[in-house]
Amino acid sequence: MVVFSGVLLLTSGFSFVNFYLVLLGVYLVIGLVVTLPLFALTANLAGIEVDRQIDKVKVFSGDFVRVRVTIRNASRRHFDFIEVHDQYPETWILAIGENFIASRIEPGSSMTFSYILQARMRGRYYLGPTEVIMRDRLGLHYYKRVLKEQTEILVYPTWKDVRRMEALGKQRQLGLMFGAHRTKTVGMGTDFAGFREYVPGDEFRLIDWKVSAKRGDMVIKQWEQEKNVQVICMVDTSGSMGNGYPENTKLEYAIRAAVLLTHMGLERKDLVGTCVFSDLVHGYVPPGARPNHMYDVLEILAMAEPRGWSDYETAISHVVTQSKKRSLIIWLTDLEGSPAPLINAMKTLVANGHRAMVISPFGPWFEAPVGQFGPVEKVLSEAVSEELWERRTKIARALARFGIQVINVGPEDFLPTIIKTYEKAKQKGVATF
Amino acid sequence: MAYLVYAILDVNDFWHWDAPYAFVVTVFRLLSLLIFFLTTTMIAGLVSAFAGGVMPNDLIVGLYNTLVLRTWYMQPYGVDGPLTNIAQVWASFQSNLLEVLYALWDNTFLFLYFLFAGIGIALFLQSLVRMEHKFVGGAFLSIQAIVMIAAYRLLIVPDLDPFPVDFVEFLGLTAQLLALVSFAYLEVSYQMIYSYSVGKPVEDREETLKKQLLALRQATRKQDAIERGEKVSITGMSRTTGATAFSFLREAIERKVVGTQDALESLDAVSDVRRLQIYVDELLQTDSRARDELTAKAAAPSSSYVIGSTITGSLIRFLTVVAISFILMSPGVVSALLNLPLGIQDSVELFQPEIVLLFLVPVVLLFPFAAMVISWFSKREVVETPKLSKEEQEAERQRKKDLVRRKREADKARRERSKARKKRRGDETGVDEWDKALEDTVKR
Repeated sequence: MVVFSGVLLLTSGFSFVNFYLVLLGVYLVIGLVVTLPLFALTANLAGIEVDRQIDKVKVFSGDFVRVRVTIRNASRRHFDFIEVHDQYPETWILAIGENFIASRIEPGSSMTFSYILQARMRGRYYLGPTEVIMRDRLGLHYYKRVLKEQTEILVYPTWKDVRRMEALGKQRQLGLMFGAHRTKTVGMGTDFAGFREYVPGDEFRLIDWKVSAKRGDMVIKQWEQEKNVQVICMVDTSGSMGNGYPENTKLEYAIRAAVLLTHMGLERKDLVGTCVFSDLVHGYVPPGARPNHMYDVLEILAMAEPRGWSDYETAISHVVTQSKKRSLIIWLTDLEGSPAPLINAMKTLVANGHRAMVISPFGPWFEAPVGQFGPVEKVLSEAVSEELWERRTKIARALARFGIQVINVGPEDFLPTIIKTYEKAKQKGVATF
Repeated sequence: MAYLVYAILDVNDFWHWDAPYAFVVTVFRLLSLLIFFLTTTMIAGLVSAFAGGVMPNDLIVGLYNTLVLRTWYMQPYGVDGPLTNIAQVWASFQSNLLEVLYALWDNTFLFLYFLFAGIGIALFLQSLVRMEHKFVGGAFLSIQAIVMIAAYRLLIVPDLDPFPVDFVEFLGLTAQLLALVSFAYLEVSYQMIYSYSVGKPVEDREETLKKQLLALRQATRKQDAIERGEKVSITGMSRTTGATAFSFLREAIERKVVGTQDALESLDAVSDVRRLQIYVDELLQTDSRARDELTAKAAAPSSSYVIGSTITGSLIRFLTVVAISFILMSPGVVSALLNLPLGIQDSVELFQPEIVLLFLVPVVLLFPFAAMVISWFSKREVVETPKLSKEEQEAERQRKKDLVRRKREADKARRERSKARKKRRGDETGVDEWDKALEDTVKR
């Protein structure tokens, strides 16, 4: 505006030979540049230091984080007008406060502002960089500097499913729901299980003489002990698992299912391990019950990204070399890879004495609802769905021959299915140790 | 500034208050003449075509008399009675059109003086409320535009011809007074905008935080009320409060009111609101500085210092600009400084206005150049902190290394597996049981 006015006045002055207009034009042009060297001298952006602090470096998706930004003027000069924009990941939500400040800062002093963000979507994120803009008093000139320093923050998968399940647990305590069945093995143990008739070969010490005397026949007293199961959750992170609505992809559901399964296992003293794989094993947390086990699982799940293809063989060979104990291996995969490697992987798995089942998200159920399509797209999508379904049925049939069940799931029944599968495994005592 | 422009230009006697009215009337007259011209030409053409090339004189005359003379006030153009001859009609039309065009040209300038004065005052009033550079600049330029147009029309306008050699004399001239006032208006307004904008963000921040916290509190209360089974009215939260609250909070409240109890339980937003409330409450309780940091209260500069430094800064700038401009524009000072022989002075036309440009351009460029040199030196002091800390960089490197190693291992294992499979196929004549199962299933 000032440049335009100055040039307009100067040209008008010269055109109409008017010294008043020329003088005013000169005033404006000189006024525009006269303080520029002084501003350049004072605006030593190197003197600005920005320090960013956060409450926690690891949070759950949906949690709130307070970000504190301190701006310090380490130079010997004041800054008339300084604007600081602290950048945060695009998918996050600014819940309270502002990530921006504009003020004046004296030499040696500092100012602090903070804001609260809601972390969205798991993964590794960076807060920053920070943009510092320094303006002169009249807003005519500015210098900009981007402080590249970033703060890493790891966002774990959401914990809301666990919270919901805990809420259901409270209802169960009130008798609204049936409890989880425990796996019990008759034999060793301390809990009384019942009596049975003596058969040759039983140890004499197990005979209950009092009851035998009453019945007039030899009776064995039986004991039982609670057994725990060992489960390994195989989370497929191949490219096709990333299909679906953002935040509601097959992979996101698989991850939520894995979190839920691990939490349930730890609550009931079972051992649950997790393997994240695609064309290579991205992370494997062997079944365990260490205090940090959950966080280890969350960490590998947080980093999972949908890419590559599903190499079931590599994944299973990694798992079987790491875990020798009989386990129930739950595959969370969309079965969109070639079937031969899957069969080979299952072969290895069964050969090593493990049991397995496949919980498979069916692609079309995670994508756009058919109702939103036009007639041509509708027909095409139905044809594709049918083709995929047929392929899946064949794979399921092939796996069923070897006692491996395939459960097709959609977004609504993914989590209930994983809970049900776990409960069933507990009841049946699959892969007890 | 506006008054000075009015007073200085008043000698021209163009501040006729009926100028806007006269302008509008002239425009309408011109339009009516043009419409008449077009209509009559078209009718004449059509009629002559039907009547075998004969021009219907009476019809044209009749139309002119009916449409123009009766409907429009034509006395100013010297037509005061009904015309009877077609030639007379065309002659009258021609003279009228030229007269109207000339009146329009003349009136346009009168109208523009008023228009710019109006815009200038409107923008000035706007700048008082909204404190933005564009309004101040617009007001300044609008008022100066009046002088520019007057100068174009060769009216008596403020001028400094001949440009004074004496600085005191220069300061005392009326035109200089107007220039100083205009420049001072711009300078002071810009400084005021600075003072306003330096304190305003902190105030806004505080206001926003208050609104956000209030919205959060209301949302939680509503949620509690709904859980207790009470009926909640939608008017509980004002639109303005809602607008400042973040999206999911608003969504939660809106859906909470219209949705059923079961649907609400599944709303993540509702739980988010409650968790945020708990988080904020805990934060404010455990950290006494939390509220001040959220509002950035401590960052607000002291107002007395800002005002003091604004006045000093403005004065220094103002005097520097006036002095430098005087030196640039006064050939006497320059010639005295250079002390050139008369022949050279005449050859470079030192006493012509163009010499201003000759000095202005290098002097103006000198300042950004100096600034560039300074900033170039000062930039070398900037020590950029790396994007990630050393440990983070090391961890990143380790991660990448690990990924490459695992990829290599996976590839190797894959190769070995396929090699073993090939070997087995060669050795065994029978088909593997599993492969057969798959084939059977796929075939079926």
